[in-house]
Amino acid sequence: MNTESPVIEIHSLARRYGRHDAVNGLSLTVPAGRCYGFFGRNGAGKTTTIKCLLNLLRPDSGHIRVFGLDPRKEEVAIKSRLAYVPDMVAFYPWMTVRDTLEYLASFRKNWNRDIEADLLKRFQLDSTQKTSGLSKGQRTQLALIGAICPEPELLVLDEPTSGLDPIVRREFIETVIGAYQSGDPGRRTVFVSTHLIAEFEGLIDDFTIIEQGRELLTMNADAARDRFKKIRAWFPRALNLSLAGALSVKRSGREIEILANGNSDALLAELKSHQPEELAAESLTLEEIFVASKLTKSA
Amino acid sequence: MRLQIDFRSGTPVYLQLVEQVRHAAASGALRAGEPLPSIRPLAEELRVNRNTVAKAYAELESQGVIETIPGKGCFLKDGGSLLTKSARNDLVVQEIDRAIVAAHHLQIGDADLLALVKKRLDAFDRKNKASDSKEQP
Repeated sequence: MNTESPVIEIHSLARRYGRHDAVNGLSLTVPAGRCYGFFGRNGAGKTTTIKCLLNLLRPDSGHIRVFGLDPRKEEVAIKSRLAYVPDMVAFYPWMTVRDTLEYLASFRKNWNRDIEADLLKRFQLDSTQKTSGLSKGQRTQLALIGAICPEPELLVLDEPTSGLDPIVRREFIETVIGAYQSGDPGRRTVFVSTHLIAEFEGLIDDFTIIEQGRELLTMNADAARDRFKKIRAWFPRALNLSLAGALSVKRSGREIEILANGNSDALLAELKSHQPEELAAESLTLEEIFVASKLTKSA
Repeated sequence: MRLQIDFRSGTPVYLQLVEQVRHAAASGALRAGEPLPSIRPLAEELRVNRNTVAKAYAELESQGVIETIPGKGCFLKDGGSLLTKSARNDLVVQEIDRAIVAAHHLQIGDADLLALVKKRLDAFDRKNKASDSKEQP
């Protein structure tokens, strides 16, 4: 088990394109064996960060370690232990599915033929077909097979399911859960960047939300769902409550809906003191937390 | 046994699984010696992290609810009656809590709530007696 040092360490990363700060002082740590979500809007700096991890881009400043190694100096050592599925998948169009997998396997020390056969069957990919004839979904499936068969310690997924149909998305995630996480789970770390958060909800152990190149929120998923709550209350008549501690307050007639950030007990007590007819609290999903996290910055 | 996850419940996902297996054991949906779903297919079906299911099973094992037989999987242990009793109590406590919260919102005081519970118990009692006496020749 490789649990002693974090799989990914990013400290004060900065990268600009011309005058635009794509990433501006980002820090995060991904422990081994975890599934780590990297959430942000389009243009928040997710792909830039991932490219710096893979030495596809050079950071302007900051400190990056993958498996404790510096990507700029030990790119090959790092890449032999990870696999990457980018948002745009491209293959050599003249190769068949079989050729492509053999080509990918030729770069790897380890290639699990059983998993390969399983996944080809599961995705119903024809191994004699040219990659130029594959649909977008099939290309992503082929990329996923290529990423999982070497059984890497770290799987980096950059917006892997955007633009795919719901069935392919579901299969993709099930495959990451099943095929990839089998074996020694302590050596199976996933780093997934996405804005389709709901689909990955159950997979995510910890996450960082990035906004304009900076970390906005880093939390454990269970702790986050415990901290962010939506509270709804109905009163006999419309009230003008201050509810100053709430992240947001929505009023519509006798109904009040508020978002709480760690202070749901105090807010519930405040609402209760005004004798509501109905009072209910529920946790926010990670996607709702992502949307609400913008409010935490101004608060 | 049907397991399902509610991300809005505020209970950590692995604890939801622990509670549901305990309830399945208490209600008889899962009997001693019966297997639990294997970790990988269950994780895929619920679309949760494999570690989450493994953590739930580890917790159930440490609570003495299930046992792992190497190479075969996880099975419900022969009923510790104490556990089953407390799991049954847990089930009822949840329902009672719901009633308490509802009573609170409707401004029904504790004494009135207790009186209502007593009244309902008596009503069920009478119903049972009535159906018993009907069965007698």
